[in-house]
Amino acid sequence: MPATAMNTRGKQVLLDFPALATLKEYDRKSIDGLVKLVEGCAQYNDRVARPAALELDQRLERDPDYFDWDLMKEACKYRLFSLVIPKTIGGLTDKYLVTGMSLAVEELCSASGGIGLAIGAHSLGVAPLLTSGAMAHWDTVLHEIIEEEKKGNPVMMAYAITEPSAGTDVEQPEFLNIAKIGMEAKKVKGGYVLNGRKCFISGGSEAKYITLTASTDRNRPLETWTTFLIDRDMEGFSVPRVELKMGQRACHAAELLFEDVFVPNSHVLGYEGDGMANGILFVMACSRGPVGAIATGIARGAYEHFLAWARTRRNGKKPIEEDRIRMALADMDSAIQENRGVYLAHSLAADVIFRHAFTHPIFKAAFLVPRPVRAFKPYAAVLNSYYGKALVNSLFRFFMSDEAVNDVLSKASLAKFTCADNSMALTSRALELMGVDDSEERRWVEMFYRDAKLTQIYEGTNQLNRLVVYNIDMEKRQAMEVPRPFKRGVR
Amino acid sequence: MMRIQSIIEDQEYRFLRETAAAYAAKELGPRAEELDLNPEASALKEIASRAGEMGLLAALIPEEKGGGGLDDYAFCAALEEIAVHEAGVAASLLIHNAALYPLALNASEAPVSDSFPACLAYPGKVSLSGGKVEGNVPFAFNAGGCQMITVLPSNHGGAVAALLEAAEGVEIKLDPYPMGLRITQPGSINFKSAESSQIISETNLTGSVSRILLLGFASIAVGIIRNSLGKAYDYARERYQAGKMIIEHQQLRIFMAEMIAAIEQARSVVKSACDTEDIGAAVAGWLLATEKAVKAATDGVQIHGGYGYMRDYGMERLMRDAKYCQMYPLTSQEALLRLFDLYEKE
Repeated sequence: MPATAMNTRGKQVLLDFPALATLKEYDRKSIDGLVKLVEGCAQYNDRVARPAALELDQRLERDPDYFDWDLMKEACKYRLFSLVIPKTIGGLTDKYLVTGMSLAVEELCSASGGIGLAIGAHSLGVAPLLTSGAMAHWDTVLHEIIEEEKKGNPVMMAYAITEPSAGTDVEQPEFLNIAKIGMEAKKVKGGYVLNGRKCFISGGSEAKYITLTASTDRNRPLETWTTFLIDRDMEGFSVPRVELKMGQRACHAAELLFEDVFVPNSHVLGYEGDGMANGILFVMACSRGPVGAIATGIARGAYEHFLAWARTRRNGKKPIEEDRIRMALADMDSAIQENRGVYLAHSLAADVIFRHAFTHPIFKAAFLVPRPVRAFKPYAAVLNSYYGKALVNSLFRFFMSDEAVNDVLSKASLAKFTCADNSMALTSRALELMGVDDSEERRWVEMFYRDAKLTQIYEGTNQLNRLVVYNIDMEKRQAMEVPRPFKRGVR
Repeated sequence: MMRIQSIIEDQEYRFLRETAAAYAAKELGPRAEELDLNPEASALKEIASRAGEMGLLAALIPEEKGGGGLDDYAFCAALEEIAVHEAGVAASLLIHNAALYPLALNASEAPVSDSFPACLAYPGKVSLSGGKVEGNVPFAFNAGGCQMITVLPSNHGGAVAALLEAAEGVEIKLDPYPMGLRITQPGSINFKSAESSQIISETNLTGSVSRILLLGFASIAVGIIRNSLGKAYDYARERYQAGKMIIEHQQLRIFMAEMIAAIEQARSVVKSACDTEDIGAAVAGWLLATEKAVKAATDGVQIHGGYGYMRDYGMERLMRDAKYCQMYPLTSQEALLRLFDLYEKE
């Protein structure tokens, strides 16, 4: 694989994504920031991820509990844990949060789907903190992530949605009320008591903070679906098991067990009942595009290694000398371009609605208040009160209308299943053309083939995502009516 | 395990199928995951010894020479039944028998008895001169712990030589991390003027051997589709989603119906290809069956959702195994090109 990727990647980004080259004419600073981010990821791949990927994948089959913290520590140098944190709070960018995320995970996954997922799953865990408008925690949790990242200590998060008997069901409002939900958050004085299990939680075993969705009344899950912030030190929380996956092993899929875990009211993100509208749907609208980018990165990894294979002489002949191989390479290139088209379209669309909120003067003004004041308990308590959260949420929702969120969700779902299917087809075809041989490249493409399958499954199966696109684009049906703050229990 | 018995077969085939299925269900089914995770020659040998009772360790060698005396179709039927439970063991038996196949055609004395697993050094560039074998085979199944290697040299009129593993000049390097069919312990083999212990044939047998390989892998592919269908069907009846069992979801019914159709299609091409000596028919059958198997296993994982991706449900193994059936003994485009060469020759 090209060892020179590091130097050339930056220039290549603008060629690979002409839309960004166009945007650069209007906003040089932001686009340069994105290019720099991708360059950093390419450098991380060359230095850290690619040399470790194959061996790590093999090792994790024998020893699924192993987690390579060194990889994550190295990632701190490139600030990969603040990808989706707005600049106002201390992150990388204000204007291109989702686009930056997508470009970064594509780059990372081209070396290893698992390592890319570990970074991506962390950002997925951060997302509900932002979308729910839980400002009080931005100064604590997000600040901690950024500060520790500077010191080289990864503080990771995860988003726990899937339950053992409900995966797709809990990601879609139509199905949530008929889902078999096992987890319940029971209201008690001063907070909630959580009981139940979550499964297949990417990064759940390493996360220090977990954003989790659960219903406070299992008979009316949709109306009471609520996002909680879990600290892994909370009493009663445990990780009984880490799954052995077919691919993307560098990021654990963990089972989380909650036994009478007390979560104080202050750790409710948003307000009770908005876990679907301001939580899952909002987050999925931002994250399914990057999942498409993960799939694209995996496809690109397979393509790059296939190309390297085709250029190697075997039995006195280079496969690339044959027309059929060249045509296949052209097809692969085409699939990757198509993927980039759809996921970038989604990412830019998502940023359009996000950007207004995160760059708005009112929002920025809130962060002009000096940190000590913000950390002052009564101030945080006001922000964290029902009315404080509702105020922030109203501000958010002023810029992000239901229509806009729905539109982005549809684009995101489309990008997700298109990219995942293309990626699966591409990796499968690459292997089919290579056949079995003793080359290192075959092992790489096999790894990407195994990695690719997961992209068709997580973040809602491809079948569900197709239905989402139909519902929103063709039926013009709202994914869900968003409950307004200040009107508790409207539904 | 759900069965689809659409093909009209003679009683003897049916009996063989039942015996093989019973053996596989008892010996292989419960151990399939373990064999995949810890592929060891000793475990394979122990399992295969029972396959020998069915005559599967020398299946294609006539009975008068001490073999099982199965015809091509019977052999394929047995492989299919075994592959329903563990495709790797079926592949191992296939390679073993393909390696012994030249003996069936020519040699008077066969070193059959204790040769399992025999390795077939094919495809690769190997030459034979003065009893010495030179060359390199990048990927051969049954390389680990093999007792005998059959070589199909490209020169010397395509003669076949048998070599013992211990022979000097034979260097076997096991693949550190094969994706599928792991119990076969694939690896690369290097011959550096290795002494051949026996020259079996002076005629080119590459065609006949690759025909057996193609038919065998097509049958294994059918077994994988059946296993995918069985697993998917069982899971779909138990798993609840969106207000109903997932078996009620139309798209998943279509996925499973495609598997049913694939079984029917692939079986009938394999059967008709067994009835003729034509390699073209075998190529066509292999192309169809393996492509369908890859799709069926991938869809099977999709039906299982997240559980399909985890090892515990045994579904992802099928996806890995199926892909290897499609990648050996040649790639699908090479197979197509060969098919056209055959057409042009006629």
